[in-house]
Order: sequence, then structure tokens, then C-alpha cells
Amino acid sequence: MENRPRILLADDETAITSNLAPFLERAGFHVHVASDGQSALEQIAQYSPELVVLDVLMPRMDGREVLRRLRQAGNWTPVLLLTQVGEAAERAMALEEGADDYLNKPFDPQELSARIRAVLRRARPGQPSLASAWRLSCGSDDPARPPLLLDRRARRASLGDAALALTPKAFALLEYLMTHPDEMLTRERLLDAVWGWDYPAGTRTVDTRMAELRRLLQDNAENPVYIETTPGEGYRFVGRVQPLP
Amino acid sequence: MKIPLRVLLSVTPLILGVAAALALPALQVQVPVLIFRADLRNLILILTGLASLVLLACALRDWQLAERQRQALEEALRQQEQARRRFLRRLDHEVKNPLTAMRAALANLEDAGQEQPRPVKDINLQVERLSQLVGDLRKLAELEERPLERLPVDLNDLLAEVVEMALSQPAYAGRELHLVVSKVPWPLPPVTGDRDLLWLVFYNLVDNALKYSERKHIVEVRAQEDGRAVTVEVADNGPGIPPADLERIFEELYRGVNARGIEGSGLGLALAQRIIQRHGGSLRVRSRAGPGEPGGVVFTVRLPL
Repeated sequence: MENRPRILLADDETAITSNLAPFLERAGFHVHVASDGQSALEQIAQYSPELVVLDVLMPRMDGREVLRRLRQAGNWTPVLLLTQVGEAAERAMALEEGADDYLNKPFDPQELSARIRAVLRRARPGQPSLASAWRLSCGSDDPARPPLLLDRRARRASLGDAALALTPKAFALLEYLMTHPDEMLTRERLLDAVWGWDYPAGTRTVDTRMAELRRLLQDNAENPVYIETTPGEGYRFVGRVQPLP
Repeated sequence: MKIPLRVLLSVTPLILGVAAALALPALQVQVPVLIFRADLRNLILILTGLASLVLLACALRDWQLAERQRQALEEALRQQEQARRRFLRRLDHEVKNPLTAMRAALANLEDAGQEQPRPVKDINLQVERLSQLVGDLRKLAELEERPLERLPVDLNDLLAEVVEMALSQPAYAGRELHLVVSKVPWPLPPVTGDRDLLWLVFYNLVDNALKYSERKHIVEVRAQEDGRAVTVEVADNGPGIPPADLERIFEELYRGVNARGIEGSGLGLALAQRIIQRHGGSLRVRSRAGPGEPGGVVFTVRLPL
């Protein structure tokens, strides 16, 4: 009985799949390969993989169309998109269409396997992922603390009934944190995902915004309810996040 | 409103004619060629008036021609700029897949577990460097399309933060870096924009000033406002930028003669200029680095209020 996670790797560049597949095999996954969108869909139906790594630009059906068809059919297999064009709007759209995460080419293969693991850990079989839920909530053990609510469509966050006055950037940061709970997020990755650039000098920017967010969330960095700092590494959202209907 | 010199020159005959008509006594003269007699003063007025009209018409035509040429030139420049960006984007796109494949192949070598030979390590490093470059170019292009946050930004705070951050870098410890922000009669008013991007611009400028000068040199950041804009200058008395480099330093990947051998992406200033332009401001540079000149550079950022 095979107990390694089964993943499908769909990319039309054989130079990529023929090198990435053995790498991912050694990283502990059972890998199927598809070279276009049509065959990706067929293989998903055939093998029902636990996760799909999907290139956006593919012949016969691009990655976004594959994703759209999957989700329309109520298939919530986690999808990690390999974005090609890499435009901010495109990435935002990818997440809205139900991708669980994305990675810009060219990426570090180690980063890919770390992301796959993180997405698999978060995945709840057969259910939509946090990344595709419009409303999220995060409770805490402290009964005095009201739950943190995030309405992604309305771009609003609140602690119980009290609305939080977040700047658009702070909201986007909180949104990324809450859709990637329990994952070590480096400053570089946050910059790339939330700000769209990750120039070395920018890491300070993340710290500034994180401090702003903590102040509004009344979160204590020493004993955090929501955002934990790991010195020299990055941030981790430690609250228990639930999708709301 | 300023009246262009050309218009003034064109109406000069008429003005002179009016003056002459006022000065002259009434006098009937025979108009040459024509058969009737006329008052000399009227004649002068008519002739000078005609001369002024012709001159004005010429001026107008020249002005229209110049305007058309300017528009054509602007259009050509715009198209050139677009073509350049399209090219960069295509290049970026075509380079991504091979780089991804190379990184995967290298990761497989690494996975084999043995200590890697030196050449493989070198290839690894260089592939990473290329990936970084490709990513940076993409992000630069993306800045154009991303919506810009438009919130009040307090430059008093921001500049203090930038200076503090620069001085906290081990490489710049003990450097002479001064911040002069006008406080009287009022502190700098807030500008509207994206704080994080503006932070990046000023940090880049300060970092450059420190990076391309030596310990003995001074870097000064000064800010003031004139009611219409805030002007921030980042100045240093380092070696300066040679005149031949000055007009190119804002281009992507351009690195001046003084920058060779110093680590950098060649994108910082291109990025800074793009950001300032998107804020409706301007970024300019002055330097005195010709032969026999003392050196020194001033970058001037103007952000509208």
C-alpha cells in the first residue's frame, strides 16, 4: 500500500517535469506527470491525486481553465499554481479562483516541496480550502477575547463586533497570514505575496506593518495569540482559522 | 501669464506705427501706385498693422509645426518605451522555464548526497543570481500595473526611519549621515502615496550614497516644502557620477563606471524613478565629477502636495 502523498505535476516543459518529478519523488511524494491541461484533467479523474502542481501556461487548456473546471465540478483537490506571467492581478485572480497557493517561476525546488507539504497539511479532504473561503474566523482560548473575523469580499476585519481600522496593505497582510496559518512565512515571501516586490531593504517594511497589525489586534509579541515571530526566520499565524459559510 | 517674445516682436511694428501716427501731424499724401490720397497716419497704421498680422500668422504657424513635431516625438518615445518593456517581458518569460528546469536539475545533483564539486556550486550560485535578476525585472514591470496605495504619508517619520535603518547596517556603522528636516514654521506636511514604496525609494537613495562613497565622506538627507511640493535631497561629497553616466543611471541594469565592482542589481534607481513618477513627482540628479571637479552627488525627489 502506497502511503506517500500522490501528486500530479502538470507542465508542458519536459525539461522541467523530467527533473522536477525525480526531485519530488525523492522528497517523498508519488508523482504523476501531465504535459497539458487536458491530460491533467484526465489524470486527476483517473488517479485522484492529493495535490496538483499546475503550470499556468500550457497547450490545449491552460492551468487556470483546469482549475476553474475542477472547482466548478466541486473538486477541491488542493492546487498549487506555477505562475508564469507573474503579474500581481493574475496571482490575485488565481487565489480567487480557488488555487491554494502559487509559486513564481523560476523557483527553488526545495521551496516547492515545502509549499506542497504546507498545503497538504492545511488541506481538509473534500472541502474548500481556506484560500478559497470568503469569510474566515479565528477564535482563541481566552473567553474574554472576541473572535477575529475576516471578510475578504468586503475587505473588512473585526474583533467580535468592533471593526478594525486596517489600511489596505495591513488587510492584505492579515488575509495572507490567515489563509496560510501554521506556516513559517519569511519576510521575503510576505513581501512577494502581499507587496509584489521583495527588494532586500523591504524586510523592514514587513516588520513595520506587522507591528501595526499586532497593535490593532491587541496581540502581544511576547505571548502571541495570533502572530508569532521566529527570530531570523519570519512570522507564523498561530491562531486556529476556520472558514465561515 | 507670460507673453512669448515672439508675439511681442510680431506686434512691434504695430506699436511703432501707433507711436508714429500719434507723433505725426495730419498730412494728406499721394499713395504710391494707387490713385487716391490718404492720411499718412492712417497709412502707417494700416501698413504696420498688416505687417504685425503677417508676423503673428507666421509665429502661429511655426508654433503649430513645433507642437506637431513635439507630439510626434513624444509618441515615438512612448512607443519605443513600450517596445522596450515588451521586449523585457518576453525575455523574462522565455528565460523562466529554462531556469526552472536548471534549478530542478541542480537540486537533483544536490540530492545525490555527496559533497558537490566546486563547478557545480558555482553553477548553482549563478543560476540563483539569474533567477533573482529575472524576478526583479518582473517586479519592476509589475509596479506599473499595480494599483498604488494613496494614503497620507508622514515624511518626517519615514526619513528618520530610513536613516536609522541605514545606520544600523554593520557596513555603515559610524558613517556620517545627517538628517535635516525643516521644522519651522511647520513640520513637513504629509504627501499622498504608498508609504512602503516611498520608503524603498529613500532607502535606496541613502544606501547608494553610502555605498558609493567612503568613510571620510558625508551623506546628508534634507527635506523642505514650498507649499506645492516636498523636496527631499540625498547628497554626498563622495567621488560623484561622471557626466557620461549621469543620463543613463536611471535605466534598468545600467551600472556606471564607478559602480563596477560594487555589488548591486542595477535596478535600484530605475525602481526609484518609476515609483516617484507614479506618485506624480520627479527624481533628478546633479553631480560634479568631471576632470578637476570636486565630486559629489545630489539626488532630488520632488513629491507634489
